Amino acid sequence: MARRLPGGQTMTTDATAPGTAELARAELEKRFNRLVGTSATNLCTHCGWCIDTCHVYLATGDVRLSPVAKADLIRRHYKRSHDWMSRVFPRWTGARRDLTEDELDDWVEAAYQACTLCERCVVNCPLGVETPQLLAAARGTLTALGKSPEILGQLADAAIAREEHLDMFSGYFLDQIGVLEEEVRDKLGDPTARIPVNEPADILYVPLSGAHTIVPQAVIFNLVEASWTLSMFEASNYAMFIGDIPRAKKIAMRVIAEAERLGVRELVVSECGHAYAAFRWEAPKWFGGPLPFRVRSIVEVLDEYVRDGLLPIDPTVNAEPITYHDPCNLGRKGGVFDEPRRVLAAAALDVREMTPTKAQNFCCGGGGGLVAETDWAEQRLTFGAPKANQIAATGATRVITSCDNCRHQITELGERYDIALTDVVSVSELLMDAVLAAKGPDLQEER
Amino acid sequence: MTFDTALHFVEYELQIVALTWMAVLYTVKAVQLSRLPMPWEQGPPRGGRAAGTLRGYAGIFMPWTRESSRLHLWRWFEFGAYHVGALVAIVITFTLPFAPGVMTRGVSIACAVLITPALLVGFVRIYRRLARPELRFISSLDDHVSLVSLQSFFFTAVMVLLFDTPGWRMTYFLVVAAFLFYVPFSKISHYVYYFFAHALTGSRYSWRGVSPGVRR
Repeated sequence: MARRLPGGQTMTTDATAPGTAELARAELEKRFNRLVGTSATNLCTHCGWCIDTCHVYLATGDVRLSPVAKADLIRRHYKRSHDWMSRVFPRWTGARRDLTEDELDDWVEAAYQACTLCERCVVNCPLGVETPQLLAAARGTLTALGKSPEILGQLADAAIAREEHLDMFSGYFLDQIGVLEEEVRDKLGDPTARIPVNEPADILYVPLSGAHTIVPQAVIFNLVEASWTLSMFEASNYAMFIGDIPRAKKIAMRVIAEAERLGVRELVVSECGHAYAAFRWEAPKWFGGPLPFRVRSIVEVLDEYVRDGLLPIDPTVNAEPITYHDPCNLGRKGGVFDEPRRVLAAAALDVREMTPTKAQNFCCGGGGGLVAETDWAEQRLTFGAPKANQIAATGATRVITSCDNCRHQITELGERYDIALTDVVSVSELLMDAVLAAKGPDLQEER
Repeated sequence: MTFDTALHFVEYELQIVALTWMAVLYTVKAVQLSRLPMPWEQGPPRGGRAAGTLRGYAGIFMPWTRESSRLHLWRWFEFGAYHVGALVAIVITFTLPFAPGVMTRGVSIACAVLITPALLVGFVRIYRRLARPELRFISSLDDHVSLVSLQSFFFTAVMVLLFDTPGWRMTYFLVVAAFLFYVPFSKISHYVYYFFAHALTGSRYSWRGVSPGVRR
């Protein structure tokens, strides 16, 4: 904001620190590719069609937080550099050259707090404006300026540290896996059931941190006698959220190197939206080509097992009405719509679709790394109102989803919006229950 | 200079200059965009780029596929009427001077009938942009000027189609020339970017098997 001083001089009262604006512009420029460039100048006609497609706007009614307004915060700077009219008459198009601390704070709000990069606005834009690409460019720029949420950077660093100090972690990790292996043996009634770690196999399964992302999958892998091994690392990649590609590559490379060393044919990612995105389409871009093994979500693998009739399934154990929440990364961005639905249809009795669904499904409000930022929990739960309404309208008492962030968010939404939810679980957990129920008599005999 | 020679200049030479100007600037824009690095999908494809691009372009003709048009069907019809009118108005900038034989009375009236709804929708759009707080908030001066310039374009097009007098012809072609000079600098040039955007977005969604869906 410029303040006029006596004598006609002006003083910028909330200007950025020296060099910050230049650095911000340079970082934005680094990210000006064809995808960003197409959406950064005159593609958007400000028609406003995207406004009420965004869960953040629907939850708040605040037009500042609509996709077009959030994109404009970034677009106005790209326009100033790349749009002819904006270079000469910036006021005509709303372009900006100055970049103040206040504006950078607005970027943080727009790109991190009030956008989960869910792409619902993209699939609803008649012109194909890629608002999330602009906001992802802002995220990367803010990271370079040291203004990204600290927790996301810390989680990324922790993932890198785990590889760098693997000796320190591995003993404890293997002990924990031993405990989980016992649990798997108990569930299956099979003392030979295993959770192999660091062994050559066809499948490298990459879990998250949490027994619920290891035990159900291990039960199923053991039942179908899959050739599999568990990764020493977790699938999540928080550097991706902050647009820090060098760190994101490092985190992904730990698993890729492990997969290559073990000679696996397939990398199977746990039920985690952004990890699936990281391995299936981001990593091939980062490393300049397809990875030397197939990448699938565990949900796709479970679907294959169900379709091939490899699993005994008793859906009566899942008699409560359930509904499936499409994580944005698996669904709208990854096209994994039918696989989880086929598994649920086999493993439960009463499956109800949300409205709208699949590519038009609402984001839970916790994506884009928002779940990790505890300071913004209140906003995140507010932004989840459209999802809460969708779930409540189905009458389902259980929500199934293939993403741990969505699971966390929807669990909290249930409490916040008083939805009578028994629980929120993954597709793997639901299937495991149905499989163990079907095996029940055998297990009794074996015991 | 007599009125007739002035009209001839405005109808032909000025139009050619304005069209060339627009074509050159659009070409520059397209080349600039094409030269930018493109983060193409590198993972194994689950669908073809061409199918996705076509699906991207076709999306606007399938209002049921997008919530933004399905829930606001009237707005989608307005969008259609507006763009049909714009297309016809663009076509007659060529046919009136360069293919006058095509422009029989019947054709002229038909064109006027197609452009008039766009003119009416334009008034609705101006009203909405001024009256609705969320649209006012996101609007720039260019948004307003572009709307008004299109209204002038539509209005003079209808007038020249219905009353083909030298005065309306002169007014219309002056408006068209001014319009063509302005368009590459305004948001009206969105249609150039539209083809890039849907090719890029459509191919990405298809590559990943999102849309068109792939049965697996």
